[in-house]
Amino acid sequence: MADGGRQQRVLIVEDEDNIAIALDYLMTREGYDHERIATGTGAVEKIRDSQPDLVLLDVMLPGVSGYEICQNIRSDAGLAGVKILMMTARGSAMEQRKGLALGADGFIAKPFDLKELREEVRRILDGRAAS
Amino acid sequence: MSLARLSLRIRVFLFFAALAAGNIIAVIAGLLFGYERMGDPSMRDAMIIGGTVASFAILGSLAGVWFLFDEHVAKPIERLAGFLRTRTHSEIDGEIEKDLARYLGDLAPAAQELTSRLNATRQALTEAVQRETSRLADEKERLEALLCDVPVGVLLCTADHQLAFYNGQAVDLLGSAHAPGLDRRVFDYLHQPPIAHAYERLLQTEDPDAASDLLCATLADGKVLAARMRLLSEGEDRHLVKRPGYVLTLRDVSNDMRSHAQRELLMDELFDRIRRPAAALQSLTGVLTADDGPVGPARDKVREAASLEARQLAGAIHTLFERHEQNRADWWPLAMIRASDLAEAVTARVEADGGQITCDPAPLMLRCEGFEMVALLGKLAGRLNERKDLRLEISEDGAGAMIALDWTGPMVPIAHLERWLDEPLDVGLDDVTGRRVLISHASELWPEKLADGRARLCLPLREARRETSRPAPVPRAVVYDFDLLGKAREAEFAQRPLEDLTYVVFDTETTGLLPTEGDEIVQIAAVRIVNGRRVHSEVFDTLVNPGRAIPAASTAVHGISDAMVTGAPDIADVGRRFHKFAEGAVLIAHNAPFDMEFLRRKEKLIGQNFENPVLDTVLLSAVVFGQSESHSLDSLTHRLGITIPEEARHTAIGDTVATADAFLKLLPALKAKGLMSFGDVVTEVRKHSRLIRDLNA
Repeated sequence: MADGGRQQRVLIVEDEDNIAIALDYLMTREGYDHERIATGTGAVEKIRDSQPDLVLLDVMLPGVSGYEICQNIRSDAGLAGVKILMMTARGSAMEQRKGLALGADGFIAKPFDLKELREEVRRILDGRAAS
Repeated sequence: MSLARLSLRIRVFLFFAALAAGNIIAVIAGLLFGYERMGDPSMRDAMIIGGTVASFAILGSLAGVWFLFDEHVAKPIERLAGFLRTRTHSEIDGEIEKDLARYLGDLAPAAQELTSRLNATRQALTEAVQRETSRLADEKERLEALLCDVPVGVLLCTADHQLAFYNGQAVDLLGSAHAPGLDRRVFDYLHQPPIAHAYERLLQTEDPDAASDLLCATLADGKVLAARMRLLSEGEDRHLVKRPGYVLTLRDVSNDMRSHAQRELLMDELFDRIRRPAAALQSLTGVLTADDGPVGPARDKVREAASLEARQLAGAIHTLFERHEQNRADWWPLAMIRASDLAEAVTARVEADGGQITCDPAPLMLRCEGFEMVALLGKLAGRLNERKDLRLEISEDGAGAMIALDWTGPMVPIAHLERWLDEPLDVGLDDVTGRRVLISHASELWPEKLADGRARLCLPLREARRETSRPAPVPRAVVYDFDLLGKAREAEFAQRPLEDLTYVVFDTETTGLLPTEGDEIVQIAAVRIVNGRRVHSEVFDTLVNPGRAIPAASTAVHGISDAMVTGAPDIADVGRRFHKFAEGAVLIAHNAPFDMEFLRRKEKLIGQNFENPVLDTVLLSAVVFGQSESHSLDSLTHRLGITIPEEARHTAIGDTVATADAFLKLLPALKAKGLMSFGDVVTEVRKHSRLIRDLNA
């Protein structure tokens, strides 16, 4: 969906292909410019290069964990504008606290309804647009 | 009478007397013989005079010799014998008088030597006995301390299933309206069949080492206890007597069982709630993806069904996971420990490794496994030892607590943290890593950046509570009377010796003196006497709501006001508990008819009859001291040298203890009067019942 004339860009970091298919479909339908990578390795470099508006970040990733990626993004001043929405298969209250403490902007537990995810993505990006 | 039974001196005297008589007879016979031969009558007078003189001379000299012999031999021998006898039977020390046995040669020194030797042996024996006694007392104390502290309940029961020993943990485990008491049946607290069955089984094995594990439930609250029974063997060869007593060790497993059942239930539900939507989804997806699948409105229906099933599946997973999270810490039994204790332990650990740390624990009690948590925090602090001014802060955090390690400097990269968590901890078990500790506490660990150039590691705990003042230590005493183990039970009270009976001494405080005019009990206190000993930990002391106002005059006597009894249970409840407390015992009170009248008027309400035999210390005092004396509690205790502390006088428990102590001092006096059995005492008491009514009549 266009925002101020510019198409918002989303990076999906997700190792499960089937979920990635659904996310890919959703992002296309919502009108976001999106890309997907399947491992944690090299994710931060990719983010530095592409400077997306939002990273849909899975916690359990081969290589580098989602928490580590999150911490690295937040410790890089050049990536201050990047929003992070973490997705986890466990989603305990403690994990959520950990994610938010590490600088994630949102947290969603799998399995989730696509509608739920869509609303969370909109909330984060609209908040960004407003600020 | 045989000569041997006469005293030594009389026998000596008789010996000399016989000698004198023999001599005189010989003189007379000689003279008679000479006179006959001579045949001269003129010689008769001269011979009689000569004979008499000779007889007197013989008598005199023999009397002299007898006197000397008596004085220097017979008397000293008797005194020496007396000396030896007294020294044999008592511990008098001291020398034999020098002149006592001057003429007895070496006898006196030999006797002296013998008695000194005897005394030395006796002294050595006394010392050895004392040494052994104090060693046994020490051992007994150590054993008591040990049994106080073992984290299981320990009961020792007689063959008749009477309690002869219990420790504080057992009191907690058996917990019922009335605390365990010596000489009570174990079946007053635990369900009978499993225990009786295990006992029979063990008896059949005839193996003193055999133990039997059983599950039993408490009567009071149905708590499930895991118990182990072992028979008591005797002697060095540890043989079993015919009807041995037994030890029961008890452990509460109801929580374990509840957790286990909960877990099973959750698993069942998990499969049930996932299998159904998964099956539906599989079928619906099959329909939707089929080449000749439905189209139009038919397809919409299938899609809707599929998305509903998917939503339900997701919902089930979330709710079940949440429940799992909530139960997780319960399945892992964690104790509450003091935040400051945890901080101190971490400091000690860090300093032992050559590091430095300051601590700021909030006054909290934390639900955690202290040893593992200290190991984890110590490990983290060790990894952070390069950081400047390391600090451990424990603060309140919602319903739980936040344990935070902070320092001046940059954040720790997650990658490092993950590595540290995979290293084994120094807890003596290989597979315990930091991650395992986090999982068992259902917690997480993460780094955070703080404002003033500091950073920290956060470890939240799910459960904590504000520290309250340390609770007063629960008396964990062990209570026992091993004599109970060797005592056979007799049914009839009357024939039983006084010291074999169990007594409950009690006193009541009331709103006034006239139960017929509506006065009521406001307090009952009682103590138990088992095997001639007041059992200090078995005390009944309860306020009673009289259901009416307490007159100020009565409050002035016993100090119990309306406000104090408003929250108290009524007589029906307290009476039932008191009935249970007094079961199987002889009731004793000072002026018992007064107290019994109040109790018996309530029997219908209580639903129990007080059929116990009753003794009255007023009457016992009359039996022992005579009717002319005063028998008030004050006079009686004064006469027996018992002091009631002023603050305890006219409190139910103070008067009860004084009455009990007075009774214990009256017991030996009753026995001295030949009143050995309960029946003897009752018969004797009846003679004094003009004083007051005997309640056993």
